[in-house]
Amino acid sequence: MRLRPNLVIGGTLLGFVLAVAAAALVWTPHDPVRTNLRRRLRPPSAEYWLGTDEFGRDVLSRLMTGAVTSVTVAAATVVVALLLGLAIGLAGGYLRGWVDRVLGALNDTLLAFPGILLALGLLAVMGPSRWGIVLALGLAYAPTVARVVRGTVLSIREREFVEASRALGNSEAYTLLRHVVPHTVAPVTVLATSLFGWVILSESALNFLGLGVPPPAATWGNMLASARPFMLEAPMLSIAPGAMIAACLLGANLLGDALRDILDPRDGA
Amino acid sequence: MRFRALLAAFAAASSVALAVPAAAQDTLRIRLNADIRSTDPGVNRDANTDGIVWHVVEGLVALRADASVGPMLAERVEVSEDGRAYTFALRPGVRFHNGQPLTSADVAFAMQRYMRRETNWRCRGDLDSSVTRITAVETPDERTVVIRLEQPSALFLTMLARPDCGQAGIWHRDSLNPDGSWRAPVGTGPFRLGEWRRGQFVELTRFENYAALPGAPDGLAGNKTPMVERVRFTIIPDDAAARAALLAGNIDILPDARSRDLPELRQRPGISIHSAASMDLQVLLMQTRDPLLQDVRMRRAIALALDVPELVRAVSEGTSRPSRAPIPVGSTFFTPAMAEVPPRDVAQARRLAAEAGYRGQRLRIVTTRRYEAFYEIAVLVQDMLRDAGIESDLEVLEWATQLDRYTRGDYQMMAFGFSARLDPSLSYEMFTGPKATQPRKAWDNPEVQAMLEQTMRETDAIRRRATFEAMHRRLLEEVPMVALYSSVTHGVTPRHVQGYGSWAVDAPRAWGVRIQR
Amino acid sequence: MAGYVLRRLLVALPTLLLAAASVFFLMRLVPGDPALLILGDAATPEAVADLRAALGLDRPLPVQFLLWLERVAAGDFGRSITNGEAVGPLLLDRFAVTAPVVLAAVGAAALLAVPFGMLAAWKQDSLADVATVTVATLLLSMPSFWLGLILLLVFGLWLGWVPVVGWVPFAEDPWRALHAILLPVVTLALVEAGVLIRMARASTVEVLRLDYVAHARAKGVPEGRVLARHVFPNAFAPTLTLIGLVLGNLLGGIAVMETVFTLPGLGRLLVDAIFARDYPVIQGVMLFIAAIYVLVNLAVDLLYPVFDPRVTAD
Repeated sequence: MRLRPNLVIGGTLLGFVLAVAAAALVWTPHDPVRTNLRRRLRPPSAEYWLGTDEFGRDVLSRLMTGAVTSVTVAAATVVVALLLGLAIGLAGGYLRGWVDRVLGALNDTLLAFPGILLALGLLAVMGPSRWGIVLALGLAYAPTVARVVRGTVLSIREREFVEASRALGNSEAYTLLRHVVPHTVAPVTVLATSLFGWVILSESALNFLGLGVPPPAATWGNMLASARPFMLEAPMLSIAPGAMIAACLLGANLLGDALRDILDPRDGA
Repeated sequence: MRFRALLAAFAAASSVALAVPAAAQDTLRIRLNADIRSTDPGVNRDANTDGIVWHVVEGLVALRADASVGPMLAERVEVSEDGRAYTFALRPGVRFHNGQPLTSADVAFAMQRYMRRETNWRCRGDLDSSVTRITAVETPDERTVVIRLEQPSALFLTMLARPDCGQAGIWHRDSLNPDGSWRAPVGTGPFRLGEWRRGQFVELTRFENYAALPGAPDGLAGNKTPMVERVRFTIIPDDAAARAALLAGNIDILPDARSRDLPELRQRPGISIHSAASMDLQVLLMQTRDPLLQDVRMRRAIALALDVPELVRAVSEGTSRPSRAPIPVGSTFFTPAMAEVPPRDVAQARRLAAEAGYRGQRLRIVTTRRYEAFYEIAVLVQDMLRDAGIESDLEVLEWATQLDRYTRGDYQMMAFGFSARLDPSLSYEMFTGPKATQPRKAWDNPEVQAMLEQTMRETDAIRRRATFEAMHRRLLEEVPMVALYSSVTHGVTPRHVQGYGSWAVDAPRAWGVRIQR
Repeated sequence: MAGYVLRRLLVALPTLLLAAASVFFLMRLVPGDPALLILGDAATPEAVADLRAALGLDRPLPVQFLLWLERVAAGDFGRSITNGEAVGPLLLDRFAVTAPVVLAAVGAAALLAVPFGMLAAWKQDSLADVATVTVATLLLSMPSFWLGLILLLVFGLWLGWVPVVGWVPFAEDPWRALHAILLPVVTLALVEAGVLIRMARASTVEVLRLDYVAHARAKGVPEGRVLARHVFPNAFAPTLTLIGLVLGNLLGGIAVMETVFTLPGLGRLLVDAIFARDYPVIQGVMLFIAAIYVLVNLAVDLLYPVFDPRVTAD
């Protein structure tokens, strides 16, 4: 297997993000929630490498702890969305019939539920916490996964090799796992890495609308949302979390593409 | 190819397409941060609704800039010896927007609708309470209205003038549908209601037969002559977009710039900033029934741990004055004794907390991001408490949820803001009362309650002032809440807008404003 | 065909009902009370009780729900608690703002995404591929409210090409309406193009590996023809699913964009209604969005066989 450029670049970027998060667990240059009203909105300096925010908190330290929160929330959400979505999509697409119809109705209901309504409801019931966000966004994105999976499965199950597997007397479950599931890996990997980005951004948008991971804990999303009013006065406030989100997404997506190529069942054939 | 041609055509057209039509020169465009709720004065309302309605309807009396009450549709008010009968002499020459003259029958008609329970007028409860109760509205002749009260009240005229009560505005009966429901206001104000396109704008047009009072504009009283043909309140929810709209010339008045935008706006040539202290109150509430906070030493420790001047300077960008008194600084009842802000004392705070049995329990501070000030106050309080060894977490809720928690008294601490109260009794009443029946009240103390009721009946200003000072002292001792400051409204106008001013109530006033290019 | 469509619509009815019921009870579970929001910090218990009664909120929840359903079945969506407006016309009004923005944006995004995605896949691992993927990812990583504000500042404030605020309905002044939706459309198209490019690329990569593409190439079919005849229709199918999703999603969820660009659309209506606990409006919007979902997805499923001949619609 040759070394793919997207594997190298993606791995490096994501490795960097994870390293930042790991470092934040043991050390940050300053206390990320410590406010200091006498040094608000300072530009980058020797003491505050990325400057300070509107409460005089150190942006670099917040960026570092934000990495932990953002990556955890995004990853957990993607896992929730994938598990739910795969289950619904595979069952619906493969079994068809009434199962598909019932699951389809449920899926459509969930799809039609605007994310913000879901977030509001769950946050209200669970109290404002990051796990409320994970569940809300996970539920909001699961139907998307389900639909993509179902679409792929619908198209795969008509192929000759699936028919052949059945004709050979293989059980439905075996056929599903051996011949159908591998084909969903590619679209799902792409979707999952995109989801990773959407979740970070959705969290940011929820913050913009007044929901989201409760402060003062930093996430890149809430840093970006609260930096918006200061876009002209203190550009570093937006650029720093924006750059981290971009690095993280680029890393995840490139890595996702590389993984897909590696995992692809037909590569060896 | 076609695409490129289209693009070129578009680029050429876009530079000229939006030249302002000539007629629009006479339109004053004002930012409104959210749509209004109705046009029914004081019924289905919020601050924006009040601010539109007061251009269209007027009451017997009106609020002056200094929060005192002045004449409006009534040219004189006489109070009887026993303080139980108010005689209003209506001003001659006042006409409704439909051309009909104002008569005492119109006043009685409107007042009767207000006082009916099914109208759901915001202030019916206040004028039908043990303190102030209207017993009769009489019309001895066409130009005289007599309103009788059960007992003397220091608050009656203020109640009538309150903007959130729709100023008890007097409208013509054509304002109602045949079935008695509200249609649209036919008032006596300087502007008529034009088109209300929901979610987009509310338009007002000049009332050419407006009977203005002489002199200068003064709050909602005084001379309210309309100077422009048309006023359009454009709904722009986003603050950043609103600021950009002002700078791009898409609106003429930004009545509510954020304080954090001021440094940047001040540097721009031709931009005027009109700042005025409002009569609202930003506070930190404490639940005196909480197991930990029921100990007054703990509450005192929290108050002592706060650096109030520092906090207020940061939240208001140095525009608001820190004050631990619930009575606004601009009120005539704000006395020198109330002006003192106790200094921060972290060591004492630690000592008191320890005495109260504080052992590092994490307190919870409820706040919201709907009002940035609440959120900033909570963040700073949390951090200042840490200096005194008091740990806390923020509970950031969506506004409706916070309001629900407030109303049920379900919180340990809460960053909160009270809307403008125009009388010092009302300033105290907003947080004083029995928790058993009104859980939202922060201060439940029967003795204080008795003092408060006394101030509502007492009409002598000096005696009232003395009682308020005594209440203020007790408030600082018992700290059911920490008053912080009253916010400042910053209106922003470009050079061509003249005669605009911010004032003690947030919403803008379009009368007396002219456009000069 | 007509029978299939009719059956699909009938099958959608439970979805709509489920959506309606869940939103109804979810919103009632969420703390917050419209009467309190109207009365604010001065709410006395009596005033709250009176207002709740006037709004019909004092009745048992199942009764409220059934009453609402009954009226909806008769075509009456009730009136907004906030401003007394009839919900039905209100929805159509707001939809007329949101729909052109979303349709134009998703159309533009798809037109941008499919060629670029196919190109990247065709030249897999080349510089063009890496560049496309990088740009797509950068677009993906920009929040729309952020990109939107930058565009607003540049084109609205500094260059003055478009007004910062001032939506006018198309029926009133199409030219000005076009100006008003230009920036939101561009912002949305850019943001959505990111994900569509990646999807188009991924599905093209898949298809390029299939035997019949190799076959066609081996038979000496010109590369352009291979791409157009064999690759595009097959690669487009999964992208179409995603376009359907994005479309449905956006029609209900562009509140953020509508806030930045001051558009009185459906998303903003929903968010405002949620914050105001304006139950009739929330329920109306919800039902409306659910119906649109059903229609969009039906359309996608009907189009699917056109591009992927292996699947029949039924």
